[in-house]
Amino acid sequence: MVRIVESTILDAPVEAVWAVLRDFNGHDQWHPAVADSTIERGSPSDRIGCVRRFHLADGSELREQLLTLSDADMAFSYCLMETPVPLLNYVAHVRLAPVTDGDRTFWHWQCRFDTPAGRETELRDMVANTIYRAGFDAVREHMGLPVSRPGAR
Amino acid sequence: MPRVYASSVIDAPAAKVWDKVRDFNALPRWHPRIRESRIENGEPSDKVGCVRDFRLQNGDRLREKLLGLSDYDMFCTYSILESPMPLTNYMATLRLTPISDGDRTFIEWSAEFDCAAEAAADLVDGIGNNVFQAGFDALKRQMAG
Repeated sequence: MVRIVESTILDAPVEAVWAVLRDFNGHDQWHPAVADSTIERGSPSDRIGCVRRFHLADGSELREQLLTLSDADMAFSYCLMETPVPLLNYVAHVRLAPVTDGDRTFWHWQCRFDTPAGRETELRDMVANTIYRAGFDAVREHMGLPVSRPGAR
Repeated sequence: MPRVYASSVIDAPAAKVWDKVRDFNALPRWHPRIRESRIENGEPSDKVGCVRDFRLQNGDRLREKLLGLSDYDMFCTYSILESPMPLTNYMATLRLTPISDGDRTFIEWSAEFDCAAEAAADLVDGIGNNVFQAGFDALKRQMAG
């Protein structure tokens, strides 16, 4: 099993970041990897169990199901149902927390998945870089925040 | 039940910050408000259930009991047994989480307690600023070196 944990600090209040992330169908508005996205069966995007069907820039289609959404904890989790790449039993968790010292946001994004032997490193790097880290910077850009991270070394 | 929550970012790897704060008897070595501390009955400071008996710079005395400690999740939970503050059922958790972007540390300190309604605002404010944020500020200064 492969595990990925990525986290960052955004220079914006946590409520503002949560307003962007809590929409399970909103990722095509900010994530550069996502071309378009719809929720199946006309379900609201904050209904637990809803499925988002989306396409990447290369046209490949993915389906993901919302497993948890909590406004109290500012967290959600989801799983991959269909994907063209072998990310099996993929479950991801997103969690925000306020940085009270400076009114910023801590963003924690983690997942685990299975994949055929020999492809672990390639797929770990792909998800960590092109989905998670690129997602951090894309939300910064979407919200008009500085992309260079103060304190990053 | 009043709740206090404070969090900050420390520009040092979480393992390094954890080395400093995991010792339940080490407050005088990093928190500017604490003058001296000892663990009762000669117990090790990472024995869950041990009690620290410590004094603030102003001479106030507190006794706190270690309720939980995890090197894996990097958190420490404790309760107040005795203090000059007008509160009861005080339980607090100090938790570290690595920030992978920049190899920094997200530090959270939270507490819940019971008190008279009219005392709540001052207690929440005092604990949040003088204990939690003052501790963050000291750690930031010490880890910057």
